[in-house]
Amino acid sequence: MKTAYIMQKEIKESILTPKGFLWYNLTSVILSVLSYLFLTNSELSLLDQGEMLYMIMNFITALGVLIGLVFGADSFAGEIERGTIEALFLSPANKTEIAMGKLGAALTNWGIIFIISLPYLFVVGKGGQNLLTGIAYLAILGTLLVITFSAFSMGLSARIKSMKNSLIISFFIFLLAGSPIFLSAAQRKTWFGNILDLINPFADAINTFDSVVIDSQGFSYQIGRVAIICSYTFLSLWFLKRSASRLEM
Amino acid sequence: MIISVENLVKKYNGYTALDGLNFTVEDGDIFGFLGPNGAGKTTTIRILTAMIKADSGNVLVDGHDVVKEPLAVKRIINALPESNGYYEWMTAYEYLEFFSNLYEEKASKQDINKLLEVVGLHGKEGHLIRSYSRGMKQRLGIARALINRPKLLFLDEPTNGLDPKGRRDIHDLLIDLNQKHSTTIFLSTHLLDDVERLCNRIAIINYGKIVRTGELDRIKGKGTIEDIFFMSTKEGAL
Repeated sequence: MKTAYIMQKEIKESILTPKGFLWYNLTSVILSVLSYLFLTNSELSLLDQGEMLYMIMNFITALGVLIGLVFGADSFAGEIERGTIEALFLSPANKTEIAMGKLGAALTNWGIIFIISLPYLFVVGKGGQNLLTGIAYLAILGTLLVITFSAFSMGLSARIKSMKNSLIISFFIFLLAGSPIFLSAAQRKTWFGNILDLINPFADAINTFDSVVIDSQGFSYQIGRVAIICSYTFLSLWFLKRSASRLEM
Repeated sequence: MIISVENLVKKYNGYTALDGLNFTVEDGDIFGFLGPNGAGKTTTIRILTAMIKADSGNVLVDGHDVVKEPLAVKRIINALPESNGYYEWMTAYEYLEFFSNLYEEKASKQDINKLLEVVGLHGKEGHLIRSYSRGMKQRLGIARALINRPKLLFLDEPTNGLDPKGRRDIHDLLIDLNQKHSTTIFLSTHLLDDVERLCNRIAIINYGKIVRTGELDRIKGKGTIEDIFFMSTKEGAL
């Protein structure tokens, strides 16, 4: 119950504010521009619906992860810098309950982004193959990735107690997660590219989307990658719990 | 006895912040914890409120070990830290309601309004905290620290930065709390007139050690609290 109250506070502080509305408005604007380009640009419109859906799913996932990382970087370090964490630690809420409340708010944020993106997914993917399956995979893997990256960033924020440094490291992690994008198709097929793809949870998610939406492959093909993402999720949650419980003023 | 501290030691990266601290606080005291900046006052409060762990030593608060039973301690104590921040986007009422919700026994709407009245913020409960003056924020901080009706209240430099009227108001509030509600108050300060006006017992800490403790009147003798303080902390702290 204490977790729910902390989550409610976090949601009011970060989501139901002009800052939160700015994120969602920006999400809508960017998704509108992307969808418009996909559907009207003469070259992009040559892509089939599945490829368009796959590309927009990647973008939504990246956006969710990025906002989760920013949210996480602010969580503990921001409260320490604003001097509000001591009052919270004086209450009978333990540090794990506080961490879970903050993580719950980050997930709520992802939920809102996902709901905002639904109409765009339907418009772009309409008439193509695997639309509903793709959306289901986006919901599940997106949620796992947001938990993974937000929990990691929160744990980092609790350990280094500096919002600026937590943010810089979180952005670095985000770039690292997106590193497969910087490799050419040929490089990604080398052993190095394969390993990088496999150990990177973000790359695992986009490769799963590719496999599900474009190649229409079933769940049995996805098990390995989904298992890797789940492992990262558990590892990040463990890291968050450990970092939060060790946090001292 | 509500607080018992034995051989408390705390080190930060080789620097000894507390070096074998020993003292006790009795029920109903307004206990002044004095010392120069950096003497170890805030570290002691953080250990007593179960926010950080000591390296060694024993601390009992109302019979509960702060390391083994931190939640039991947190239910009966509360504190106003020195650099207390506020959720400035909340109203005073929302702020108190939020903290009340974190306790098993939640304060009712009437309780919160009464608390706001006690600290002199009645009529301002709907204002955003960011519009409050420093003195008003300090009163709100005290209201937050009273939300669970604590038996023991820790205040770390509660009158720092307040104008004379603000300080006088806080003094009156603390005396009232102590006399009418039997709240034991542990007051950490380096403002000697706060001690003179409020405390019945004191301890002076320097370099992480208690250098003097006892009843204020006895310690003072015929001198002033200022003389005693400077004699006890001759070299000051780092």
